[in-house]
Amino acid sequence: MGPTPMPDVTTLRSWDHKLLTRYRPAYMPACQLCCLCTFGKCDLTGGKRGACGLDIEGQSARIVLAAANIGCAAHLAHSRHMVDHMIHEFGPRFKLTQGEGVEIEAPVSRLVTGIRPRTLEDASAILDYCETQLTHTLSAVHTGQEGSWIDFESKAFHVGMIDQVGMEIADIAQISTLGFPQSDPEAPLVEAGIASMDPKKAMILAIGHNVVPATYIMDYAAETGVSDNIDVAGICCTAWDITRYEKKAKIVGPISWQLRFVRAGFADVVVVDEQCIRTDILEHAKKVNSPVIATCDKSAMGLPDRTDDDVDDIVKDLVSGKTPGVYLRDHEKIGEVVVKTAIKMHPKRKKKGSLPSKAKIQELAQACRQCSECVRSCPNDQPVMDAVLAAAEGNMGPLADVYSECIGCARCESACPNEYELHSWMVKAAESDWKQEQFMVRSGRGAIKDTEIRTVGQPIVFGEIPGVIAHVGCANYPDGGRAIHDHAEEFAKRRFIVVFSGCAAMTVGTIKDEEGKSIYERRPGTFDAGSVLNVGSCVSNSHIAGAAIKIASIFAKRNLRGNYEEIADYIHNRVGAVGISWGAMSQKAASIAAGFWRLGVPVIVGPHGTKYRRMLLGRADKDESWKVWDARTGNRVQIAPGPEHLFYAVENFEELMVMTARLTIRPNDTSKGRAIKLSHYIDLHEKYYGYFPEDIHRFIRRETDIPITLKDKIKAQMKANKWEEKAIPDPTLVRRLVYGGNGGGE
Amino acid sequence: MMRAEPWQTAEVCGPTKAQELKKTAVVGALIKKAKHPLIIVGAQALTEQTLKKSMVDYFIELSKATKIPIVATGNTIKAFKEKGFENAYGYGAMEITGRLQDPDWMVAPKKGPHDLVLTYGFPYYMEWLMLSALINFSPHIKTVTLGRYYQPHATWSFPNLKKQKWNDALKEILTAAGGTE
Repeated sequence: MGPTPMPDVTTLRSWDHKLLTRYRPAYMPACQLCCLCTFGKCDLTGGKRGACGLDIEGQSARIVLAAANIGCAAHLAHSRHMVDHMIHEFGPRFKLTQGEGVEIEAPVSRLVTGIRPRTLEDASAILDYCETQLTHTLSAVHTGQEGSWIDFESKAFHVGMIDQVGMEIADIAQISTLGFPQSDPEAPLVEAGIASMDPKKAMILAIGHNVVPATYIMDYAAETGVSDNIDVAGICCTAWDITRYEKKAKIVGPISWQLRFVRAGFADVVVVDEQCIRTDILEHAKKVNSPVIATCDKSAMGLPDRTDDDVDDIVKDLVSGKTPGVYLRDHEKIGEVVVKTAIKMHPKRKKKGSLPSKAKIQELAQACRQCSECVRSCPNDQPVMDAVLAAAEGNMGPLADVYSECIGCARCESACPNEYELHSWMVKAAESDWKQEQFMVRSGRGAIKDTEIRTVGQPIVFGEIPGVIAHVGCANYPDGGRAIHDHAEEFAKRRFIVVFSGCAAMTVGTIKDEEGKSIYERRPGTFDAGSVLNVGSCVSNSHIAGAAIKIASIFAKRNLRGNYEEIADYIHNRVGAVGISWGAMSQKAASIAAGFWRLGVPVIVGPHGTKYRRMLLGRADKDESWKVWDARTGNRVQIAPGPEHLFYAVENFEELMVMTARLTIRPNDTSKGRAIKLSHYIDLHEKYYGYFPEDIHRFIRRETDIPITLKDKIKAQMKANKWEEKAIPDPTLVRRLVYGGNGGGE
Repeated sequence: MMRAEPWQTAEVCGPTKAQELKKTAVVGALIKKAKHPLIIVGAQALTEQTLKKSMVDYFIELSKATKIPIVATGNTIKAFKEKGFENAYGYGAMEITGRLQDPDWMVAPKKGPHDLVLTYGFPYYMEWLMLSALINFSPHIKTVTLGRYYQPHATWSFPNLKKQKWNDALKEILTAAGGTE
């Protein structure tokens, strides 16, 4: 057992402070006020402090912690529901498994808590610990508690770490009990896209992240022999998990597609569980006569609780329209009500949609007031008003163009003084496009096998596999599918390992090559150079962190249990992993990122990620920021600035390409590995920035680090910058890890 | 549309609000007064046009006329390099926002520390946050945004302008600085 099993909120504080000293938070407050208590509002401009004593830096850090707490709570509550439910169904001693080839199961949980969860009972005990930690970090946000930006940040790192544990427990529980693919590189390819739905079948749409209710729906359909009469399709992470449960289940798409799908009238019943649900989905479903079944206490939607009523009475009320929806707490009843209602609604609804005709759009558009409110409310700054004016002339092309960039938030509609349903207009204008949407995606494979880690551990740590790229979370904007597809394809071609999870894993599949194949059909699903793999839903993110942890444990044979600081130090200095969340929008994305930060893994977000309002930036120009202990000698050693940043929002796709390559550099790279990484960085820099990067000399430790084909240019740069040879250390930020006890307690 | 209010409707700022640039001569005066001004140009310069020229050409002209160095963010630098313009430096938008919080930092030797920053070419929400960082954590710097829309977190900003009025304003700034249309 390592030194820190079940760390409390401040146990790993000194590790956090090391990272936060090198990667100093750069705050960008959305406003300069605090309005969280009745002391306020408080003006925090110009160095002023609020009534509680907090300044703008502290308040900004507090917001970071608040977001991470909210995100962690969402995952953790999901995990708790999953584990409690499975204990109820299968008993506390039900064994957890991640499949053959996985001996180091639950690496995140073992690293953090020291516990190897063998049963659901163990999983529950781990969640007890997580819930305690979340309570503490949440309490720190209260007025009059923490006051220091660095300790707010440290707590955000802590709750991010807890989030990874909670996600891991949730996914292991569902993998073990529901028959999901278990660490399977050949998890099935499944159908996705609107055109994959069969209009002749009753259609059940499941939205959210918690698969349990949907499993009862599919089970009831199978037991009653009606599976062939219904399509069960999902939006957001429930979509992934229903395909992990039953490969005939279908994926509609990511979170941003809910409004268009519901309004188009496909769904005969809408089932919502938790997280990432449009909170006004009931209103939209009502317009197309789609009953809504709320199944989770987090989102009861104001619907009547009919759990204790007779199934046939509930179905009768839903089908007749007497009630637009119900809240049900009993999973068995959910399965029966949903299937029966869908089958009865299907002939009655006849796929009734609420999209207007193009003639009606043109007529309404002619009364546009040209106030620009639609444009001013669009988060993606789309030219909605110009498109409406074109529609008034009968040209629907610009509306269809806006659709292709639209994230389906419908803020334009809320802003429109004429109350036009502008999102529906876009959907109608682009009808011929989305009706063709059909693509294949690989269902979530779950964890990475130990055997895969044994194969790639050394080349990753030495830098010869130049990096592991993890696309996680949403890919809402801008140009989500195309951007992350092109990024993944480029880096896979360069022999990086590219991992996906969550909505990004769906969106990447929407782009097809000339033969009509998605990236999943072109590339293998193994954890290896050039592969593109999908671990699964949001909670499967934990397997990406788990893979990095297992590299330290399996390849380097570092002690795993309760040994967080040493493993994080190892990953930070050796594993060229980069997390990317291109269109992240949620607090969950914030907590997921925080978990990676504490492991020392840099995270890049798209331009809208600036709205997280804090970056973690290194200073490449400050040599003193880039020093490590050489574990072999105990000497303090200068290193290159790598990874340069820990959290960074790029301006656009081009910056993403260059920044990704740059952030894979690690102090431990061998000369061969460093040369490979620099080759990619230089190549992408020249391609997108148009010139040879001026900082290559900083990354050359010995002449053997120089990419051979670029020798002349680099040597000239080295000479101009008076380059001197540097040591290649056995790098650590933690002095106690110096071999032979040469370190102190720092 | 000449209103000094946030362009994106939900972006509400705090107690401080940018002064409205009613006369472009203010920009000239600020540049003249500043010891080490800096222009930051984002990627919208690659697609936007004004005065019959690209915004990249506009800022090259302005930089030549005022001797102010340019930071071109991300891939924007490529356009400046391709035109052979040497007084441009490449940084990421977040990197330059972070660096400017260091009162000793300068884009090149003897060209700083910076006391005035002119910005252009970012998505509205991104510039909002970049300027917020500077107004809160770079008290040594005044900021002027040269975009079309009002940015309250700047020290000085145009109100929301029609395209033609904005073009006229940029033209006035350039000609006053000694540049050509």
